[in-house]
Amino acid sequence: MVNEVFNVSVFFILFRETVEASIIISVLLAFLKQGIGRSSEDPNLHKKLVRQVWFGAALGLLVCLILGGAFIGAWYGLGKNVWSSSEDIWEGVFSLIAGIIISIMGLALLRVNKMKEKWRVKIARALEKGSGTKSARKFTTKYAMALLPFITVLREGIEAIVFTGGVSLSAPAKAFPLPVICGILAGSAVGYIIYKGGSYMKMQIFLIASTCFLYLVAAGIMSRAVWYFEMYIFAKAVGGDVAETGSGPGSYDIRSSVWHVNCCNPNIDGGWMIFQALFGWQNSATYGSVLMYNIYWIAVMICVVALLYNEKKGHYPFMKPKVNPPASPVALSEPLPSKETESV
Amino acid sequence: MRAFSLLAALAVSATASLAATVQYDFSVEWVQANPDGAYDRSFIGVNGAWPPPPIECNIHDRVIINVTNNLGNEPTAIHFHGLFMNGTNSMDGPVWVTQCPVPSGSNIIYNFTVDQPGTYWYHSHFSGQYPDGFRAPFIVYDRDEPFADAYDVDTYLTVSDYYHNSIPWLSANKFLILTNPTGAEPIPDAGLFNDSQNIKFKVEPNKTYKIRIINMGALVSQYVWFEDHDFQIVEVDGIYVEPAEASMIYITVAQRYTILLTTKNSTDKNYPMVTSFDTDMMDTLPDDLVWNVTGWLTYDENGEFPEPALIDEYDFYDDFNLVPYEKEEPYEPDYSITVDVSMQNLGDGVNYAFFNDLTYVAPNVPTLYTVMSSGNDSTDATVYGSNTHTYVLGYQEVVEIVLNNFDPGKHPFHLHGHVFQVVERSDASPDDETFLTYNPDEPGTINEYPMRRDTVYVRPNGYFVLRFLSNNPGVWFFHCHIEWHLQQGLALTLVEAPAEIQAQQVIPDDHYAACKAGGYAYEGNAAGNTVNLFDLTGEKLQPKPLPAGFTARGIVALVFSCISAFVGMGFITWYGLSDLKTTEREVAAIVGEPLDDSDESK
Repeated sequence: MVNEVFNVSVFFILFRETVEASIIISVLLAFLKQGIGRSSEDPNLHKKLVRQVWFGAALGLLVCLILGGAFIGAWYGLGKNVWSSSEDIWEGVFSLIAGIIISIMGLALLRVNKMKEKWRVKIARALEKGSGTKSARKFTTKYAMALLPFITVLREGIEAIVFTGGVSLSAPAKAFPLPVICGILAGSAVGYIIYKGGSYMKMQIFLIASTCFLYLVAAGIMSRAVWYFEMYIFAKAVGGDVAETGSGPGSYDIRSSVWHVNCCNPNIDGGWMIFQALFGWQNSATYGSVLMYNIYWIAVMICVVALLYNEKKGHYPFMKPKVNPPASPVALSEPLPSKETESV
Repeated sequence: MRAFSLLAALAVSATASLAATVQYDFSVEWVQANPDGAYDRSFIGVNGAWPPPPIECNIHDRVIINVTNNLGNEPTAIHFHGLFMNGTNSMDGPVWVTQCPVPSGSNIIYNFTVDQPGTYWYHSHFSGQYPDGFRAPFIVYDRDEPFADAYDVDTYLTVSDYYHNSIPWLSANKFLILTNPTGAEPIPDAGLFNDSQNIKFKVEPNKTYKIRIINMGALVSQYVWFEDHDFQIVEVDGIYVEPAEASMIYITVAQRYTILLTTKNSTDKNYPMVTSFDTDMMDTLPDDLVWNVTGWLTYDENGEFPEPALIDEYDFYDDFNLVPYEKEEPYEPDYSITVDVSMQNLGDGVNYAFFNDLTYVAPNVPTLYTVMSSGNDSTDATVYGSNTHTYVLGYQEVVEIVLNNFDPGKHPFHLHGHVFQVVERSDASPDDETFLTYNPDEPGTINEYPMRRDTVYVRPNGYFVLRFLSNNPGVWFFHCHIEWHLQQGLALTLVEAPAEIQAQQVIPDDHYAACKAGGYAYEGNAAGNTVNLFDLTGEKLQPKPLPAGFTARGIVALVFSCISAFVGMGFITWYGLSDLKTTEREVAAIVGEPLDDSDESK
């Protein structure tokens, strides 16, 4: 039987996690390549920033292996499912952080790539030196390119390890290596296609399309964060039984349900996992998760309007125009070096 | 009507003139007690004492119990479990079936004759009340029983589970709530032998004891054995059986087994006796629960009381194989009822129990009073309500109940007013996904003379087939005797020969008075409508089902979310396509380069 060497659930788990991580990393890399890589001024800068991206990803992978290994060890060694009692909180917090970071970086990257080429380079160099006087600010801007991949790979990696560990209780051990490798390869392939797509499409269209995609994924993640927090409260009230009821009655809180279908559960069903990764799909939606999804998009729209207003009028709506224009778009709080010019 | 029943009463009393009348006065009140040594709690006792007194009489006696409810905060009612109440259906006791709840401060008189021998018990039949202590044995002595010379001492032994909290409180706070979606029954805190623990059952050597064993619990079936002592089962639920050798019985709640146990020759040892919970019936097994309750057959009070030996397996006598003393071949059914048992969640998120697609909801008028006030319409099941799951039975017909259990638990089912033949009882199904259902063309094992009793259990995912003769006009409740499942609505109503009930029976005035005292309706259909019996407006119904799939609300939410996403992406596109003059100016200021419009961004 195929299922004895290829566990389908494990494949979909790894595929889903890798797709989410590789979308983000590949979009980041494509931005860097188009924005700075084509510049003849400083090829090393591009390499430095690309290295930051991979460094962040690798660090995320390392930390998630350590944490995930600890959970699995506690599970099998001590027989205690440390993860499941607080699983929904972990998921919710991770999702919230990831969603916020993606949202902040998405528009910023889009804006950066609209710059004239030489300014992009200068901005990138400023980025690399780290701008701002406060050390935290300096740190995050200097390593901005590493932070997003780090948090993304960390989250996806822990999810992959823990969910695979959960499935392993009911499956033979030799059914694991093949779907793990295939899932990772398939997910990476999706990321590679996105990265390469940048070279073949008109730059502007590619940037806009990938930013839209990024925000679609972020909206789903934010919606899921709220869903996890609500599920945590319900599961605490019910006790251990929620997990046993699958997708049917009793697995959700009827009081906060907007829709519920007994099928298509992204926590169990392979294909629907991907649907969730891309669009935030839940088979059992709550008021909270639906509201968050819509509020998120409205917030994005408001941000875009505010940014466009600023472009036209020189200041944000409801604020006085600035006497002296502030610093670069990625380090807005820096006091003005108006009399100095940066060494080129 | 009245004249006929008076004549009938005279006739009966003439033949029973040798029988005595046994009278009890019960003041039902709260009493403090501590049966398991944990702490004092309030129990429902009688006349200032708990446990309540056993009722004892001889066969053919008249029993009159004058009950005054002095609880102060709860109504009550008493059911005499296993007694047929032939001709006196109003004395049977389940609230909303044959009577109203008797409110605190009121009283009611139960007056009936007992024409059947054996071991029975009485208990409250008001919602979840009897495990708070209102239960005790009801023994009917019979000088002419078949084994009358075979024993020396006639005694009883009760077993029970015990909850520290009251059932109504547990139901409202832990059980029938949406955060218990699987319907997990609360776990008992202890087990009891004779409403106590570590009992010393004094016995003398070389004597035969007739021990009437009664399970008065709320949930758990028990395995009962007496170490190193075999015994003979001679009666179950009031039916004498051919003596069956056994070393262990499996007794569900509400069942009774009477055994003959012969003691040993010497008094040198005391022997443990054990009642052990069937732990399959409990959702979890807490570490601090002592589910093996020990007592001792005490030959020597000053001797040692050893701990019971561990046993490898429960080797109990399967009651299906008992052969009644009065043998009957299996009846041929005239009328068959098939019910499928399942547990499901309804729209309030709570887990309910179903016979087919109905969970029992009590009517506004006791069903028997609807019979009495519905004239010629009493044979139409509609008047009894949409959620009482009522079947109208004819008189002197063989009725068959086929019950298919689609639940992975064991359930003890009890029929009021009758004993039934247990024609078939399947094994449990081999796994959770398979269900064994009755197929009359491929019957299972049928014994030549089927066993008869009034409470019998069905195995997980299995079925049983019961048959009885409808020779007892009355409204009879058929339900699972696990108190939790009764709260979840695992019950149905049989209205047997309603025309005969109207013709032959009278509801005593004090029963109607109890209704009036409680402000309850006592006439009309299930909704209380006395004018149009087919208009059930105002009856109580089960909660709406859970919405299956997308409701209007869900579709709106999904569509709106999709629109948000598309519009949002449109805004992002707008931003991506527009000029960034201000930003360019800002950046130019930082990097010290002039604004150069001729330089196009790629």
